[in-house]
Amino acid sequence: MSPHIALHDPVFRAYFCVVLVLLAIAGAVLAFLRFVLKKETASMFKTYWSWILIAGIGFIVVFLGRIPTIVGVTLLAIYAFKEFLRASGLYRDAWMTGAVYAGILMVGVASVISDPRSEERGTGWYGFFVAMPAFAIALILFIPILRNRARGELRRISLAIIGFVYIGWMFGHLGFIANARNAYGFLCYIIFATGLTDVAAFTFGRIFGRHPLRSEISPNKTWEGALGALGVAMVLPWLLRFSFPFFGPWQLFLTGLIVGIGGQLGDLSISVIKRDIGTKDMAATIPGHGGILDRIDSLVYAAPLFMHMTGYYYPLR
Amino acid sequence: MKKWLYSPMRDVDRVPVDRLRQFPREPDMLVYGLRSLGAFIIRQLLHTYNRFEIIGHQNLRTNRSLVIVANHCSHIDTLCLLAALPLRKLHRAFPAAASDYFFQSVPRLWAAAILVNALPFARQARVRQSLSICRELLANPGTILIIFPEGTRSRTGEVGEFKSGIGALVAGRDVAVAPCFIDGSFRAWPKGKRFPRPRKVRLVIGTPRNYRDRRTDKTDVCAIAAELRDAVNQLRPGNESH
Repeated sequence: MSPHIALHDPVFRAYFCVVLVLLAIAGAVLAFLRFVLKKETASMFKTYWSWILIAGIGFIVVFLGRIPTIVGVTLLAIYAFKEFLRASGLYRDAWMTGAVYAGILMVGVASVISDPRSEERGTGWYGFFVAMPAFAIALILFIPILRNRARGELRRISLAIIGFVYIGWMFGHLGFIANARNAYGFLCYIIFATGLTDVAAFTFGRIFGRHPLRSEISPNKTWEGALGALGVAMVLPWLLRFSFPFFGPWQLFLTGLIVGIGGQLGDLSISVIKRDIGTKDMAATIPGHGGILDRIDSLVYAAPLFMHMTGYYYPLR
Repeated sequence: MKKWLYSPMRDVDRVPVDRLRQFPREPDMLVYGLRSLGAFIIRQLLHTYNRFEIIGHQNLRTNRSLVIVANHCSHIDTLCLLAALPLRKLHRAFPAAASDYFFQSVPRLWAAAILVNALPFARQARVRQSLSICRELLANPGTILIIFPEGTRSRTGEVGEFKSGIGALVAGRDVAVAPCFIDGSFRAWPKGKRFPRPRKVRLVIGTPRNYRDRRTDKTDVCAIAAELRDAVNQLRPGNESH
């Protein structure tokens, strides 16, 4: 991955056009709703402008190459983790926060450096990357011992471990995908598909939504929205088959399931956390979306599953 | 299993810029890091560009709460007083800054909240409320309040009248008050100029005083303000003999 390759890569260019066209269509639909049907669309426009910003930043980062992508994903993971900490209150514990920050940075480092025993350079150190949770949990468990404290530490340890493994390491897989031979196809597909599935769930839920999906967790999600999103996610791999031409029907099917079901489970699992803490959004960083973590929740769940599924059938390199 | 309680930060649902506006601010490592880095750079700049010099440094050596009172001619004053503090006390030092000037536009807000950890002080309305925030801060040991009791930057370089609020803040409380005089900041960066000039700046720190025995009625409060003004003026280089 590098700017020069990206410029000539048909997959990257195709995604750029697809996203441009979709954003234009969405803008036209919103404008139609607002100016012709005179509907109240202020909040939707806010979300829409933020989508444009997200798409722009995403394309620039992926365009810049492998290391910028990994650095970007690592920074995003650190910021999302910070939102989780601020919402749960663990942020007041500077030691735990520092330990997990260090762990997330190490995930980024493991994605950038290459296996010392491998001949190929710049491919990421897969073994170290996959082993990161063991090292990070060892570090997190060491903190209370170092400070000679026990009261309330189980709570801090638990929050730090779920924060590291879920937000730091699982989301870090997105950065590791940048090492794949087919990086543009995988990266663009997984980011684009989870985003589109989110929008599909929202739209289907808004139009057809009747039956609540999980009333105790997220009152606004409906079965209609979830099934509609699953339908979109199942069709999408076939439509965008050019991003992974070597996939057979079974892999395409699995990809659809991972994005369609995994993405929504990610959304719901962050909702469980928010519901228990008692906040509506994790933060107010992106206008119309909530926090960074509210935006990337489906990617956090789907990206590692997708990477390991692909890695099982076709080695990343 | 006992109930497991979370304690979210108070500003979880606020936009990042709004988080800087509120006070007291929740701790934020990014802000702390930027502030420490900024303080380091500002110190180097002051020492080279303005040949900054501190006289009476030992007067600030205390672990208890401290109110620093100084004359005010320029934005450099706050930076000078902060540069006299050790870096580890930086996040516990709060220069009182006019909320109508520093907490409206976003660039000034960044400078005030991130770089100097300013306390928004409402100098026109709700002065009492601001003073009570100051009192609460001083109740935790190790807090340093930086206050310019003139209420605004002097246009002539002379020390103006001190507002009585400073008297109300310290009268009857066991808190050290250190008078300081900043010499040369008026020439270095007067009000209305866009950029500072390379003039020598000197900070003179006087011995701390204590007003715990004073009453909080109007005459005493005004008297303390006048006494503090004299104490600051006494420190002006060339005035020591009086």
